[in-house]
Amino acid sequence: MHKRGIKQWIVPGVIAASTLIKVAIGLGSYSGHNTPPMFGDYEAQRHWMEITIHLPLKQWYMYDLPYWGLDYPPLTAYVSWLCGIVGHFINSTWVELNKSRGIETAESKVFMRMTVLALDALVYLPALLMFVYTWQGSRSRRTQELSFLTLILQPALLLVDFGHFQYNFVMLGFTILAMNFFATGKDLWGAFFFVLSLGFKQMALYYAPAIGSYLIARCIYLGPVQGLRLLVRLAVVTVSTFLLLFLPWLPPFAGFSDILQPITRIFPFARGLFEDKVANFWCASNVVFKWKTWASSGFLVKVSTTLTALGFLPAVAGLIQSGITHMNVTKSEKTDQKTGQTPFLPLLPYALLTSSMSFFLFSFQVHEKTILLPLLPITLLLSGAPIDSAAYSWGVLVNNVAVFSMWPLLKRDGLGVQYIATLLLWNRMIGYNPVRLPFKSFVQLFSLAVYAAAILLHLLELIFAPPARYPDIFPVLNVLISTPVFFLTWLWSIKCGVEVGWALGGLGRNSNPATASERKATEGTSGTATSGTSLLSANGSGLSYRQSGNRTVSLGHAAAQSSVASALRARASLSPVELLKNRGSGANAGGGAT
Amino acid sequence: MDEDGPQAQASLKKSTSMNSIKSSESTGSIGFSKSWLSWDILPSEWDIFWLSTALKLLLFPSYRSTDFEVHRNWLAITHTLPMSKWYYDTTSEWTLDYPPFFAYFEKFLSIPASLIDPKIVDLNNLNYDAWSVIAYQRSTVILTELVLGIVLLKFIRGSVEPPIQRIVSASIFLHPGFLIVDHIHFQYNGFMYGILLWSILMARNGNKLASGILFAVLLNFKHIYMYLAPAYFVYLLRSFCLSPTGQIHIKNFLSLANAVITVFVVSLGPFALMGQIPQLLSRLFPFTRGLNHAYWAPNFWALVTATDRVLLKYAQLTGAEITINESGVASSSRGLVGDTVFAVLPNVKPVHTFVITIVFQLIWLFKLWRNPTYKSFLTALTLSGWTSFLFGWHVHEKAVLLVLIPLSLLAAERQAYFRTFVLASVAGVFSLFPLIFTPTESIIKVIYSTIWIAAVYIPISRRVYEYPKSITYVIMDTLEKVYLAGFPLLFLFVSAFPLMRIQQPSVTNVATSLETCVSADPLDISCPEPLATVVQSTPGVSALEFLPLMATSIYCAVGLVWSFMRLGFIYLHEESTYQGQLSEIK
Repeated sequence: MHKRGIKQWIVPGVIAASTLIKVAIGLGSYSGHNTPPMFGDYEAQRHWMEITIHLPLKQWYMYDLPYWGLDYPPLTAYVSWLCGIVGHFINSTWVELNKSRGIETAESKVFMRMTVLALDALVYLPALLMFVYTWQGSRSRRTQELSFLTLILQPALLLVDFGHFQYNFVMLGFTILAMNFFATGKDLWGAFFFVLSLGFKQMALYYAPAIGSYLIARCIYLGPVQGLRLLVRLAVVTVSTFLLLFLPWLPPFAGFSDILQPITRIFPFARGLFEDKVANFWCASNVVFKWKTWASSGFLVKVSTTLTALGFLPAVAGLIQSGITHMNVTKSEKTDQKTGQTPFLPLLPYALLTSSMSFFLFSFQVHEKTILLPLLPITLLLSGAPIDSAAYSWGVLVNNVAVFSMWPLLKRDGLGVQYIATLLLWNRMIGYNPVRLPFKSFVQLFSLAVYAAAILLHLLELIFAPPARYPDIFPVLNVLISTPVFFLTWLWSIKCGVEVGWALGGLGRNSNPATASERKATEGTSGTATSGTSLLSANGSGLSYRQSGNRTVSLGHAAAQSSVASALRARASLSPVELLKNRGSGANAGGGAT
Repeated sequence: MDEDGPQAQASLKKSTSMNSIKSSESTGSIGFSKSWLSWDILPSEWDIFWLSTALKLLLFPSYRSTDFEVHRNWLAITHTLPMSKWYYDTTSEWTLDYPPFFAYFEKFLSIPASLIDPKIVDLNNLNYDAWSVIAYQRSTVILTELVLGIVLLKFIRGSVEPPIQRIVSASIFLHPGFLIVDHIHFQYNGFMYGILLWSILMARNGNKLASGILFAVLLNFKHIYMYLAPAYFVYLLRSFCLSPTGQIHIKNFLSLANAVITVFVVSLGPFALMGQIPQLLSRLFPFTRGLNHAYWAPNFWALVTATDRVLLKYAQLTGAEITINESGVASSSRGLVGDTVFAVLPNVKPVHTFVITIVFQLIWLFKLWRNPTYKSFLTALTLSGWTSFLFGWHVHEKAVLLVLIPLSLLAAERQAYFRTFVLASVAGVFSLFPLIFTPTESIIKVIYSTIWIAAVYIPISRRVYEYPKSITYVIMDTLEKVYLAGFPLLFLFVSAFPLMRIQQPSVTNVATSLETCVSADPLDISCPEPLATVVQSTPGVSALEFLPLMATSIYCAVGLVWSFMRLGFIYLHEESTYQGQLSEIK
């Protein structure tokens, strides 16, 4: 009874503690603090509130473009408008047209930080909670809580949104919501939320290949009749949501050419291949191969587009192929699953990772902050993974390196101590120990090498000033350390995608009937064939496939079911809630709760 | 500081080896993780440590009171000046007014500081606020607080019920008082209370000589701990220097006396040789202050002052025949600033507060003399500090930690203790809120304190809950709950009040006035007069202006006075009614 009484407080406690951390990060500096005349991202967001509440809608994408002209899709504009109204109500000087530029009073800063916190509570928190309860609905409560903790304290997102100042989590939250609805079989809602994600920040396009091919594969899987019906519905929902978002710039509310205003602002093709130092393929290879002098900008855009497409092709192909494979499963089983999730759902996070990482590595005009997009799927994978799985190792490594890759940006923003604190906190809370012995895999050794290099670089930067000949030596070295990690992660995601695809669908059609019925049996006996408990069925099938000699299903955590319990126990003993849990018996470090 | 090192370390080692045996027995089934970083510390304990450290790091850029500059100035004084000038320097208005050990401590801290950034220890570089000095001074607070952390761990290891003590230890380490006063406002209380708890730990483990020495050391760090000295004196005299039958243990007595004298000689000796003791004392004890501090500490005098104000209003409204002291009327219109003069009630002089304090102390000390056990000592210690806090002359709101920290050690003893602890902690922590008035930090202090009280309340209340035994207890229980439920309302009032006042122009902003006030309050220095003149110029407004502060002070004072009476009652009936786990320690 005691334990149960404590348990219900864990999620509220985690939410409260994370809120505390977010507010505390907000104490620090932000992008462009005290750097007139342009300031930074903080000023951009505030400026958008200013112009949206003071100007008619038609001018939103036209007004004084050189000074942080609006270049995000309409949902951002609408949200800015709402925040602006609230700000105007509290203190009109915060968002006064033109006069408020670069305003940095303590109160206005608090207001801006609070808008981030409020949107976080409205979109991202519910999305994460729902993710934990749908995608990990069948896992133990403790796993769900740990997974929630892992996601909510993700350092890169905390630093960029609550420190540097942006609203990325709104876009990411909508994408997670889309994934949640896909997992529960509500594809139309999923499509709707993904369009919202795109409508908030065009960067969500990095996910589009994966989401699109997932939905197409789903249509294929459902067969000609139902599939076609779903396809039409999806098209209607997607198109009408887009139309709604862009309505003010469309006829009859505007002229035909007016739609070009937001579009040209949102997609600026005129910029170069890359601007700052960013840990992707182009910037890293630029060290030895000066792309910009070698080829014309137009040609480079074509090359980068091709490379990006090739980069996410495996994910697209994997999903479509799974759709085709599973279409041939016997009809009776399919009707069972009509309302539930698709069997190849576990592929989705890997596909998202492959797709977004390929954009990050190969597409043009990438910012260092864009690493947040690939980080989302891999952190989702990591969140439920046992401590000795590959997904865990890769997930932690990529997360840490992503934060490291943003170090030049964070340093410029004056967020050094926040950088240390959030990394420290998150790694501790998820129970990560990079020097845990013995080394079991390549990724552990690799991680150690990367960390050593990163720490060495930090020390060098602390002790030595950069030589006059190479003022950018430290950012470049940072890129050279980070890029290989991201590149390998991309390869790893493709590999996992292929593995999971094999495990789910088998190599050929022949192997299907037997294993499918076997899986059905597993589901039946475990009594979890409800739509809410999606992943256990995947786990169950993973086991049965392994028994039948195929590759293991791995959603990061689905493999090695037998070791899950022990691994959980290991993680549990590291959990922050252990103190509370322990008080009952005083002796049991987690065994009792599993 | 330097001198107590070897001795203290030796005793620390001893207790480590002793406790490690005990703990391995009592917690054998836990199975420590064999990671290379663990010294007998549970993962959950590491979690708490890292979580709180991360939060404290994030608080680096937060608001700093002038205490920050005070301590920076002391770094500069101790680094650049010879010892003979430490207590004479007046380059900055924030002169050195802590005892010598703290000065030595600052001297020690100034060495790395000078290597990191020589400007930190530049005596004339007043109000230096570069990132280097912020990061350095904030880090020293976190690092020196490790003393507290280690001592609290040792508390768990040899305790009667480790799981309960673990919660108590965590609650002290994470105490909102430390977060507010040390990590935002800026002081070194974590370190000081670390030494105090170390001394208490030594008493619990039966090493009373070490306990006495540590307390003497502590006194030479910060003299506010004199409030606790009577309890120490009686306890050590009765249980260490005398046998149960009343015979004197000459050997014990002499060793304790010599050790304590040695500590004081090390601390004050150099200054005595230079003939600076009078100057030093005048810095330590400036007797030029009023009854109440700028913002009334939530003590007995806050209630008396409030009663006086109410009576004055009553007299003015009804024209009742009460002799009214005119200077008291002026005093009441001056808000919370300056010397307090009563309009209706007889004025209070330092000697009155002194007598009341002594009388109450004597009750607890008499009881302690008759029953010199560890638990009795702990309770008497708490009550001793509490008495001084409630009835002392010119008490600071920060001194409430003197009550809350020792009281926490008693929290999980029985329902009666626990309820006292909850009432006092909620009131005490809330009374610290006005120290922090900047918006973001205010959000942090509120969320943090709420999490803290929930995290302490939920596990312990389940453990110690007892049904109210009679109708009196039921009524008391209900009233106390109503009182606690009033805090959210009070908070709403306090935060909404300035917003309502903003609508009216010509009103000086509460926050700015308070800023002047708080910024002028490094340690024990009362508010300067400029504020009073501001307030005097708009007498009608000023009373309302300070209404939130007054309300906070009075409401918290009610809780603190009531819980003081509770603990006093419990203490006097301890042996017959309120036995708990701590009673097992002889």
